[in-house]
Amino acid sequence: MTDATERSHIADPSLADRGDERIAWVARHSPVLNRLARQRLSDGALDGTRVAVVVHLEAKTAYLALLLAEAGARVVAAGSNPGSTQDAVCAALARRGVEVHARHGSPPDEFESDLLAVADTAPELVVDDGAELTARIVDHRPELVGSLRGVTEETTTGIARLRALERAGRLSFPAIAANDAWCKHLFDNRFGTGQSVLAAVLRLTNTSAAGKRVCVIGYGWVGRGLAQYATGLGAQAVVVEVDPVPALEAAMEGHRVARLRDALPEADMVLTATGGIEAIGSEAIEWLRPGAILANAGHHDREIDVAALEAAASDVVTARDGVTTYRLDGGDVHVLSEGRLVNIAGADGHPVEIMDLSFAVQALAVHHLASTPDLAPGLHRLPVELDRAIAATKLATLGIELDDLTGSQRAFFDRWDQ
Amino acid sequence: MSEILDPTLAAAGAAKIDWAAAHAPVMAHMRDRMVADRSLQGRRIGVVLALEPKTALLAQILTDAGAEVALACPAALVTDDVAAALAARGVEVFARSDATPAQDEGFLAAVLDHRPEVVIDDMAELIRMAHTTHTGALVHLQGATEETTSGINTLRAMAADEALRIPCIAANDARCKHLFDNRYGSGQSVVMALLDTTNLMMGGTTVAVVGYGWVGKGVARVARGMGARIVVSEVDPVAALEAHHDGFDVAPVTDACATADWVITATACPGALPVSAVERCRDGAILANAGGPADEIDVTGLAERAREIRAVRDHVVEHVLDDDRSVFLVGDGRCVNLSAGEGHPIEIMDLTFAVQGLATRHLALHAHEMAPGVHPLPAEIDAEIARAKLAALGVGIDDLTPEQAAALADWRHAPSV
Repeated sequence: MTDATERSHIADPSLADRGDERIAWVARHSPVLNRLARQRLSDGALDGTRVAVVVHLEAKTAYLALLLAEAGARVVAAGSNPGSTQDAVCAALARRGVEVHARHGSPPDEFESDLLAVADTAPELVVDDGAELTARIVDHRPELVGSLRGVTEETTTGIARLRALERAGRLSFPAIAANDAWCKHLFDNRFGTGQSVLAAVLRLTNTSAAGKRVCVIGYGWVGRGLAQYATGLGAQAVVVEVDPVPALEAAMEGHRVARLRDALPEADMVLTATGGIEAIGSEAIEWLRPGAILANAGHHDREIDVAALEAAASDVVTARDGVTTYRLDGGDVHVLSEGRLVNIAGADGHPVEIMDLSFAVQALAVHHLASTPDLAPGLHRLPVELDRAIAATKLATLGIELDDLTGSQRAFFDRWDQ
Repeated sequence: MSEILDPTLAAAGAAKIDWAAAHAPVMAHMRDRMVADRSLQGRRIGVVLALEPKTALLAQILTDAGAEVALACPAALVTDDVAAALAARGVEVFARSDATPAQDEGFLAAVLDHRPEVVIDDMAELIRMAHTTHTGALVHLQGATEETTSGINTLRAMAADEALRIPCIAANDARCKHLFDNRYGSGQSVVMALLDTTNLMMGGTTVAVVGYGWVGKGVARVARGMGARIVVSEVDPVAALEAHHDGFDVAPVTDACATADWVITATACPGALPVSAVERCRDGAILANAGGPADEIDVTGLAERAREIRAVRDHVVEHVLDDDRSVFLVGDGRCVNLSAGEGHPIEIMDLTFAVQGLATRHLALHAHEMAPGVHPLPAEIDAEIARAKLAALGVGIDDLTPEQAAALADWRHAPSV
């Protein structure tokens, strides 16, 4: 047993071989991490730095953690959601020297103590998801805020939380909005979530998409991806929004746009992607079509108000693995993966190549924080040249070549008087 | 007596069958009809199909309608808890996931020993046995209905040799079968099985679809919906031209392989992807079969050619070639949505098995009036199935007015142009 396994809190160290297999598959399909990130991290900037990684703990996250460790960082990892933690991957990470505090399906108090155990290692840099660790350090371990040199945040939801923290005057360290990098949200939120959520829903239910009406609640990057892939599978998308701009964009894209109360009675599938809470609240439950399948594609497991469903149901049964059926007055409705993020709780999460981009953003963000000591407190964007370097590397691995502007074209853009 | 792995799994299997039943309105319509008209009362029926919740539902409905049903399934395609549930619900089941090939062969024979009057066949397995090694079965066997394109090819070859002794309904050729099952069912479930097993991105990649029949069309359509570029390989010039007009690239299979991240066979033809084509594949290419035969990809030749073979994920086997390139075979080259997934979506199989159930009913009532050979499903049964599904969807359609019907039937008067 390695030291890291002894310090770790995981389900079963004997699963490590299985976890290694999964990580090896990720390594094979992560050209940007392998090429660009590994090369940039090799300058010693992370040597001896305490880095906490609190992201869905499956093979792709593990590979990021291992790259950071390989670059000299002392990495501690926890899951951002007990439903998505894979015990085999935790075991492999621990065996390779990363301290892990995570167990699949851990109850809320254990999840809490795992995150606090990571906080107690006094991390200098944090790769966070949903600001789960950052918020806890600020709230429960204020004495450790001083040792925080920076945070990089993965999700839309987490950035909203960090902005709230900034408004409250308590964001006393620099935070990079990794989600706002082009190479993150343009690909991960849209194509990654789009593909993997639809695939998870179809796998969990063994139902057909062709000819179905799929209600997409929220038309941010995730909602755009969901509507696009649902359409690609032969379904009709109906979009529900509160913001007129994305609602108009959805309409121009060719999707039907409707109020929730009009969309739900005809929806065979309902996918939530608002990043908020109670997208399907107690009132909306009454508008659901009998037989409707509900799944969440947003960070919180509070987008579908499962408690309200439970209160309204005369009976609750498990219909299949990952499918809970609520018997309501108007008929049955089915909730997938208990309303947790369905592609991660009910399947393997985003495709590997997408997370290669997202985690290249994270790796370069961590490196940027470590090597830029004078970064002011507050939220920052990933420097544009890093974003471009990631895209250029990915294109190169695809064998795709680009043009350059000619000298006269460039001169034209540089002048204001023409 | 049934031959299954573990009877105690019945409760878990029953839940799966009930989930399928909740999404199968057309089969419910069929069940009501058969129970009411007693058309299958006391009739002996043999079934060979991949044993999972949807096929179980079909077998159960035939049993509910009064038939004595015996079912066999090869080990690779058995879901043991469903087998247990089905046995508990009165079907004779010969299917266990740990069966040896010899046992599987015995299971097929056991179904024929049940002296079926009608068989629901897959890949013409039972029909072939009844005409070769177990000809005694022909004493009782009055007719058969066949599920797959591959099986119908076999039956046509038998009929051409004047070897086919019973009437067979080409269930696959029914419009409510191939237009939906082969295209939308295979299309969705094959692509989804690949995404599930590999956890890879399809958007922006190139997918080679070998064969542009209904399955190939469906796979190409869904893969395009997932953001992939498609290149189609064909031997039939008409199908190739159709693929071109659908907006896909068309190329010979070796050239297609050279550009593809994924190669999916859908030809119903053994050796559709020969080793010579695999040798042109890019490093990391994913190979899978969406068709009936397990040897559309030359799996044996590939294994001989590979320097090293190792399992890298569930259902994914890496084959390292001499020059350190690897290709990854998903689901052993067997039909990938079944070998590495849960098969077609339920609503699609609802249509397919309504075809099979009503074809069985038709044979039970009319086989004695039908000549040996391959027959289509009567058009009115196809229409009945589609109407039942549309009714379940709440979709209304029009009828021709008497004037319109008369005008279409009138050959004396040229329509004005």
